[in-house]
Amino acid sequence: MRKGLGLLLACGMLSACDMGIGGTATAEQSGDGTQTIELAEFPDRPYWGDTHLHTDVSIDAFGFGVRLGPEDALKFARGEQVIATTGMEAQLDRPLDFLVISDHSDAMGATRRLYDAPRMLVRDPTLRRWYDMMHESPRQSQRAVGELITAAANNEIPEALRDPEQQAKANRELWDNHVALLDRYNQPGKFTALAGFEWSLMPDGNNLHRVVMFRDGSAKTGQVLPYPGLENDVEGLWDYMDAYEESTGGNVLAIPHNSNLSNGAMFEMTGPDGGPMTQAYASRRAAREPVVEATQIKGDSETHPFLSPNDEFAGFGVQGWDIGNLPLTHKSTDAMRAGSYVRSALLRGLTLEAQMGVNPYAFGLVGSTDSHTALATGDENNFFGKHTGNEPRAGRAMEPQNLGTRVGRFGWHYLAGGYAAAWARGNTRAEIFDAFNRREVYATTGPRMVLRLFAGFDFTENDWGGDWVRSGYSRGVPMGGDLVDSGKAPVFLISALKDPDGANLDRVQVVKGWVDAKGVAQERIYDVAWSDMDGTRKRVGAKVPPVGDTVNRAEATYENTIGAAQLRATWTDPDYRAGQRAFYYVRVIEIPTPRWVLFDAKRFGLDLPQEVIDASVAQERAYSSPVWLRPAARKQVGDAPMIMEET
Amino acid sequence: MIRRWLHEPLVHFLIAGVAIYAALGWLGNPVDPADRTIALTKEGQAGIALGFERTLGRAPTDAEMDGLVDRWVREEVLYREALRLGLDSDDPVVRRRLSTKMEELATASAETDAVSDATLQDWLDAHRDRFADGGTASLSQLWYASEAAARTALAKGSPRGFPISLPPSVSQMPLREIREIFGQQFAVELAGLQPQPQWQGPIPSGFGWHLVRLTARTPGSVPALESVRAEVEADWRNATIAERREQAYQVLRDAYTVKRE
Repeated sequence: MRKGLGLLLACGMLSACDMGIGGTATAEQSGDGTQTIELAEFPDRPYWGDTHLHTDVSIDAFGFGVRLGPEDALKFARGEQVIATTGMEAQLDRPLDFLVISDHSDAMGATRRLYDAPRMLVRDPTLRRWYDMMHESPRQSQRAVGELITAAANNEIPEALRDPEQQAKANRELWDNHVALLDRYNQPGKFTALAGFEWSLMPDGNNLHRVVMFRDGSAKTGQVLPYPGLENDVEGLWDYMDAYEESTGGNVLAIPHNSNLSNGAMFEMTGPDGGPMTQAYASRRAAREPVVEATQIKGDSETHPFLSPNDEFAGFGVQGWDIGNLPLTHKSTDAMRAGSYVRSALLRGLTLEAQMGVNPYAFGLVGSTDSHTALATGDENNFFGKHTGNEPRAGRAMEPQNLGTRVGRFGWHYLAGGYAAAWARGNTRAEIFDAFNRREVYATTGPRMVLRLFAGFDFTENDWGGDWVRSGYSRGVPMGGDLVDSGKAPVFLISALKDPDGANLDRVQVVKGWVDAKGVAQERIYDVAWSDMDGTRKRVGAKVPPVGDTVNRAEATYENTIGAAQLRATWTDPDYRAGQRAFYYVRVIEIPTPRWVLFDAKRFGLDLPQEVIDASVAQERAYSSPVWLRPAARKQVGDAPMIMEET
Repeated sequence: MIRRWLHEPLVHFLIAGVAIYAALGWLGNPVDPADRTIALTKEGQAGIALGFERTLGRAPTDAEMDGLVDRWVREEVLYREALRLGLDSDDPVVRRRLSTKMEELATASAETDAVSDATLQDWLDAHRDRFADGGTASLSQLWYASEAAARTALAKGSPRGFPISLPPSVSQMPLREIREIFGQQFAVELAGLQPQPQWQGPIPSGFGWHLVRLTARTPGSVPALESVRAEVEADWRNATIAERREQAYQVLRDAYTVKRE
């Protein structure tokens, strides 16, 4: 018996199906997790996750060579061993608690479909060229993707790859299978699999990407499809999100990322059309985007030395990334910096709020990986690379990694990636999502420090002696919260615990931003607790002396003989002024530890050049979400009464 | 890995043709590229029509069927000529695809076989450690920065510890979670203690030293099959596929002698 071309094509389509593990998800797994497990009275521990991970469904990740799909990604995140695309066994030492697989919505699965298609059906000359390159070798495949990203940035993706009708059909099948797969891996109380996608708006190569994250199970997420980024604008995305919530009764939020590669476009003072920002735009942005990803493999976006010249820790994860936008189609200038980094955006938010009454940039902070290997690795000693082309191998640290052009980004500029910590009452979709929505989350550059922050007006040192967490929640607000100015300086309870399996802590700092009486945005960094602060490490002038450095460069090791296991502070803002608009966030700094390049040097016997050795030790860190201090609402006279805050 | 094959491309219609032909065991012997007769059986035609129907949801019209047959014949002619010219032999893509397809053949049934509860129960029994949860512990702990401080406090009696943002006590907490919160070293050291009402230790952790009152510990247990069926089945399938692939390869490999110059 013999079957013809028709069947072959049918097989071709089938090959795009997700053949997951058998069985179907239970009702508890399929929903948002409400009433599936017993919840703690308060958020009692941080849950660790990655909200930004790509698999072979992403157009670029597949092209870069990854052959692991969403199911492998889920298995890996929850602690199982998988075989990485390049053949190595990979397993997380400590599993994650939650995962958002965020494959690009644009041309979702398209490179895989292109690769899988019979060559004779690939008629577009550009596509056929990419097709051949993808089949020729991994190196050529990466080159093809470089061209593809450049084409996307220039809006020159071949029509055949975007054919809406075909795309819609393929997307439907892919997404339906995907959300069903997520349900099967979602285990309330143990592991949370959240649906999501990456929305990759990139006008002129300026990165305006967002990860979109859903609260719900397949019954709701299955009613929509991921929303494409190219040729759309951010208000279109918010319309999509509004429509989702309205039609399904579900919830969804968006997480901007890599503002450091946006050339100032991520956090503008103006509206998207270049005119003044409207109140409506600001309100929607604040509501739709409660959290920003501040650190990941492609650099750290907290701040830049140009913006924060007095911040001695400002240079982390900046090198290489600050020379231009994502595909390096345009260089960055200092004038663009304020729109590209998180701290300056928080400041801009205060200024805009003073002008309009709405703060569009009142967001919390998380870290994630943005790994394109389907492996959510965040640690220095297990860095599996930004994409499959730089999974562990001798050459990866020194190779140019600059997406299509050749102007100075190298493998060693990559960070090992970050993680998101969410303070929640239990590990379910609803609890994790709600923690993001109320900004009770924080970012780390990989280590799992436990960082707690409460802000109020009457906390004292004595609170530590009792049930301080209960006091924190009942007499104050946690990270991400708002305080209304009551004429008194705010007091903060800050507790930072080292990663139980990681490095000691150097110090804990409060970063304060405010708008001064002249309307000028200001920032200041306060060292509030550090190791040996009562002993050998006294302040010299205003400065806390460096903690020291125990890193053995040749062996890629360090000793916890310096630093502290935990740091606590009860801190009152010494520069409080009544009526001031301000934000406060906590930055926890670890002692110096080896970066992944040193582990590579040790593993592969590399001889690193001096500039790389100079950048091979770093102080990893955590950033809390801010607490905002807002002026008490004034009573309005006239026909526009303002609603007083509810208590 | 499995899914990788399932996704492996039908990269080239020639290759796909070969694979399908092999998969269906058509005629049971290889195409002779020199054979100039192309026979299209009734079954073959039915297959073409079925393929059309699966794609478009209806049977082909007579005219469409003629077109499909023409296309099939065209493909077959080019396919045989390609084989006759040896185009399949020095192309690394063809080589890789074909070898992958061969492996897939060896394991295809394992990917779809229905599996009985008895088989999975055996599998679960044979690989208990893969599915067992780690057990739980109930304990109180006091923290000290140094070992000496902890020992002194223990010797004096009624130790109180120093404040740290760790839970002072936990009840029936899974060991997995204890490891996450207190760290690996603590979890390892804890395993060496026996439950008793007195303070024990000190034991070291990533934070320093702890006196521990371990009040209860439940051993890890293997869950019932029905609660982990999906995991067991996936594990069984993965292992079975790998095993069959190796077996199939060995049978073929044994027939070859490799001489490496």
